[in-house]
Amino acid sequence: MKIKDRALPEATNIYPTGFAQSYQHLHPFLVLALGSWYFNDIVANPIKGLSTALVWLAVLQIAYCVTCLPPYGTGKVVVEKKKPGEKEKKRSSQVATKIFTGLVALIMSLIVSLVVAATLVLFGAPMTTHHWETLLCAGHMSLLATLPLVYVRGVEGQTWQEAVALLLPVDDVYGGMIGTFVGAWLGAVPVPLDWDRAWQRWPVTIVTGAYVGYAIGKSIGATWGKGGKIVFV
Amino acid sequence: MARQTLLLAVANLLIPIAILVFATGFFPYKPFMTGLATYENPGWENIFKWKKQPEPKFDKLVFMVVDALRSDFVYGEDSGMKFVQSLIRDGSAIPFTAHATSPTITMPRVKAMTTGSIPSFLDVILNFAESDTSSTLATQDTWLAQLKAKEGGKLVMYGDDTWLKLFPDFFTRADGTSSFFVSDFTEVDNNVTRHVSSELLNSDWNAMILHYLGLDHIGHKAGPRSPNMIPKQIEMDGMVEQIYSAIENEDHLENTLFVLCGDHGMNDGGNHGGSAPGETSPALVFISPKIKKITEAIAKESPTKPKGEFEYYKKIEQSDIAPTLAGLMGFPVPRNNLGVFIEDFLYFWDDGIDRIQLLLRNAKQIKTIVEATYPSLGFSDEVKELDCDKSLSSGERLACKWQNVVQSMSTVATLHPQTRVNFLFSFLRDAQDTMSSTASNYDVSRLFLGTFLAFLSFGLTFLTLPKLRRISSAAIAYTLTLSLYGILMFASSYVEEEHNFWYWATSGWFFYLFISESRKQWFPKFIFHPAIMLLLLHRIIRRWNQTGQKYAGAPDIVHSVVIRGPHSIILWFLVGATYTDIMFRLSRHVARSVSTFEHGNTRDNVDLESTDINGIMGKMAILPLTVTAFLFKLAFTARDAPELTQGFNDGLLYGLGTLSLVSVAQMVFAGICLIGSWQIYAENRRSKARKRGAGSGDLAVALFDLLALFLITQTKAENIPLFLYFRCQLFFLTHIDLSPTAIALTTILLAQTSFFALGNSNAISSISLSNSYNGISGYSLPAVALLLFASNWAGPIFFSSAGVLLLGSHGREQRFVNKEELDARDWIAEEREHLMKQATKESEGRERRKGATDVWRGHIALLTLGVSAGLVAVMAACMVLREHLFIWTVFSPKFLFAGAWGTFFHLGVSIAWGSALWAAGKL
Repeated sequence: MKIKDRALPEATNIYPTGFAQSYQHLHPFLVLALGSWYFNDIVANPIKGLSTALVWLAVLQIAYCVTCLPPYGTGKVVVEKKKPGEKEKKRSSQVATKIFTGLVALIMSLIVSLVVAATLVLFGAPMTTHHWETLLCAGHMSLLATLPLVYVRGVEGQTWQEAVALLLPVDDVYGGMIGTFVGAWLGAVPVPLDWDRAWQRWPVTIVTGAYVGYAIGKSIGATWGKGGKIVFV
Repeated sequence: MARQTLLLAVANLLIPIAILVFATGFFPYKPFMTGLATYENPGWENIFKWKKQPEPKFDKLVFMVVDALRSDFVYGEDSGMKFVQSLIRDGSAIPFTAHATSPTITMPRVKAMTTGSIPSFLDVILNFAESDTSSTLATQDTWLAQLKAKEGGKLVMYGDDTWLKLFPDFFTRADGTSSFFVSDFTEVDNNVTRHVSSELLNSDWNAMILHYLGLDHIGHKAGPRSPNMIPKQIEMDGMVEQIYSAIENEDHLENTLFVLCGDHGMNDGGNHGGSAPGETSPALVFISPKIKKITEAIAKESPTKPKGEFEYYKKIEQSDIAPTLAGLMGFPVPRNNLGVFIEDFLYFWDDGIDRIQLLLRNAKQIKTIVEATYPSLGFSDEVKELDCDKSLSSGERLACKWQNVVQSMSTVATLHPQTRVNFLFSFLRDAQDTMSSTASNYDVSRLFLGTFLAFLSFGLTFLTLPKLRRISSAAIAYTLTLSLYGILMFASSYVEEEHNFWYWATSGWFFYLFISESRKQWFPKFIFHPAIMLLLLHRIIRRWNQTGQKYAGAPDIVHSVVIRGPHSIILWFLVGATYTDIMFRLSRHVARSVSTFEHGNTRDNVDLESTDINGIMGKMAILPLTVTAFLFKLAFTARDAPELTQGFNDGLLYGLGTLSLVSVAQMVFAGICLIGSWQIYAENRRSKARKRGAGSGDLAVALFDLLALFLITQTKAENIPLFLYFRCQLFFLTHIDLSPTAIALTTILLAQTSFFALGNSNAISSISLSNSYNGISGYSLPAVALLLFASNWAGPIFFSSAGVLLLGSHGREQRFVNKEELDARDWIAEEREHLMKQATKESEGRERRKGATDVWRGHIALLTLGVSAGLVAVMAACMVLREHLFIWTVFSPKFLFAGAWGTFFHLGVSIAWGSALWAAGKL
């Protein structure tokens, strides 16, 4: 089963409407704002803070998907003029599809978060303690990384293999995913330092790294990284 | 080509030179004043009209050191030293916690106690290189020298021979015991005790030194909670009682001061050397019936609870012992002393003038040292104006405090003696603090030179690398790892918790391998992908032992109930599996070599499979060796850590208990050497018999498996399962397509990871001595050093050698593997060939092995680059941060470890042993 044998999908395009175009650049800042808004809560009480933030992150991510991204199955964003009467009708059914797809993506990404949690444990997350912290951390990472990806790419096995193998073309969504995981990995670096700060507790730095990584990855994916391939030399 | 080899050789030669040059600048011999102190005029005669010296209170000294006697061993509620506690309650003993500065190992501590100075860090090395005599205190001023110089002064010493080395020809009678033979709990102490009762009847000595080692040995072997610990404390308590009753009853011992103290403490693991509270808090008790005079006003509760972790009663510095003894026994304070007379003892003298004189002598002696450090500041005895209100440097502050002393001494007004005493103490304590923490006088130019040489080595190695036509991902990962490591070496907490970096980087690298492999070919059951299995094993390995400083006591697998107590059978199942695996591997090698001789005549068949008969012969040859090795480990553990052998039949353990561990270990080592020689002989023969073509490098694999057996013999039982996991990791690594750069990076990452996973850290105290004497009946520096190194670096040695096998794909066409596995392997091999041809147009793994020295040189170059980069970072960190608070506790030990990695590990194992293995693989 060689992955390369298949023609790879193309990079996702954002809806060309003015609102979608501007919102997509605003979105990473909103995500960061959400993270910083709840930062102190998360530090004070990780489980409570992360749970609350998770709900808002889900809302934010679905809003982003619905606003900017073509849901799975609609193919490329086709810009075509419709007759005035048709447009209204189509639009409302489209919105319903989008929200439905978004909800499916949410459920899928919450399932995927279990895999992410397992990966976190493989990377050294505590195994016998802090279960909720690790799960919620994985939930955040999964909502950042996989929710939009499920929304645009669906749940086809091969696409996911390509996603893991870093073979998909870089775009907003994929850049965000890579950024989330790299950021979370880098987020582990300050933990052993002897600064004795409250924010060094598990999993604050990981979540922070994921948020920052997501924002950077998404922005890069949306701009000069767009359409590029990740090359392993 | 020759030029590159030459450059690489020079670069590697530079490594030990750089370390040496840096070390001489970093650990200079502290200049000390020679000659014995004499009573000098204390000054201010017209005011005080000193009559004479304050009258000494004691004329004899019994100085009993119990090695590693941590404060709670004497004062705590669980202590076995009930007699000492009764003396404390009674007031005949005055207890302290004597703060020992890092390095907390015996020789520097003895120096501190006897000279009152703070010994240099160099003594760590000298302590290990016991034969060294350059660290002798013969020419320094100590209380031993002072007591010996007294009229009729005679010294006797029984116990740790460190004293004999430090004080050659000092003792009239002495019996030394080697302090490195840690597996012995009783003989070392009996060797001291048997002299005590007769010596107590002699009246010719004025100081008797006893140094008991058993307690320290128990700590090293099994930690402070060992079942042997309380009985040993009771035994020591009995010695105290014997000596104390002699002091009470014998007339000639009437004025004897009895000091009981530890030279250092121990941490939770029973080791010492670092600066954890347990290690720096030994007990110190002054005992004499006469002490009741000064203990009237002191709380005498005992046993008691500590203030901090181990701080019982009043905390003093270990160096305070020297001036206190000087005052109590009536001799001048040793010249290099930085200790302060212990305040409680002042009340032996009723006259305030005597108290002032004692402290003034102490202060004037320390002032001489302070003056030498700050020559430009005024430390004369004249009253003068100093501006002491501005913000002061430490030297100026001392000058102000000295001026306070001068003014209070010079005034003719009637002052309460306590006022002057307070001024004197204020100066003394500040001087002690300042002078102890003042960074020693580094030779900065040498530090620069050493760092520069390491950098030069780095640069030269870089030049030998092939031209960077195309940068590979592995090269990027390699560069990032080294760069980040270099940066982190400047953070003290990352030096202490260095394992976290390697664990983190290794997980990332394995996951990268998973992605990189998945890009070529999606593994259907991706959860069982070799790289994911590597990651899983890595996760178990890193949790096996907690290490570092901060979380050293956090839960880990070794200390969990999973393998302890009633479940120790699980541990022994894993240990058994490790031995069985090695046994099968070795028997295959022997079987092959036997078949070589059978097929000797038919020349083309030298590489043919061996028969079942050969297989049985191989097992018969190897079984005794591995069984002996296993039984050795079991017997060793039964004595060393009996809580790990609970599940075993008592009769078996009793039988094992009667074995002589030394000779069993010798049998194992001899067996390994024998099989090794046989393999070399047989493979040589096979190689010669081969008409054409090449072997598959089986000799290298055989030597590697023998090495693994040696390494697990040198490993504590609870860590042996780690070698099973290492072996699995190696197995999965062979299933991943790795470029030479990737192999070098994997080798570095796994060598470091396995070092820390075995429980080591960058603290001197984490060095484990328990396996350094396997098979050795007497002290022999080279043999002990080799075993010590092999037992602490077992993991890195394993992976360094494994890297050689990975690089050359040695022994890939092995016989006796089951068919399915063989197919899978061939399939991988085809894939490898295919990819290699595609990617580099070069030939595959075998060609690497057979071909020119290029591949091997490239591998060494990458390893050298890693070592020299690490050295540059560590040296630069030590140089830049030389005034840092943690320089002696964190960075200096790290430098010593970096030195060991750079010389013993890199030059000795990676290059010398690795090249031998590589050459063996060519047969």
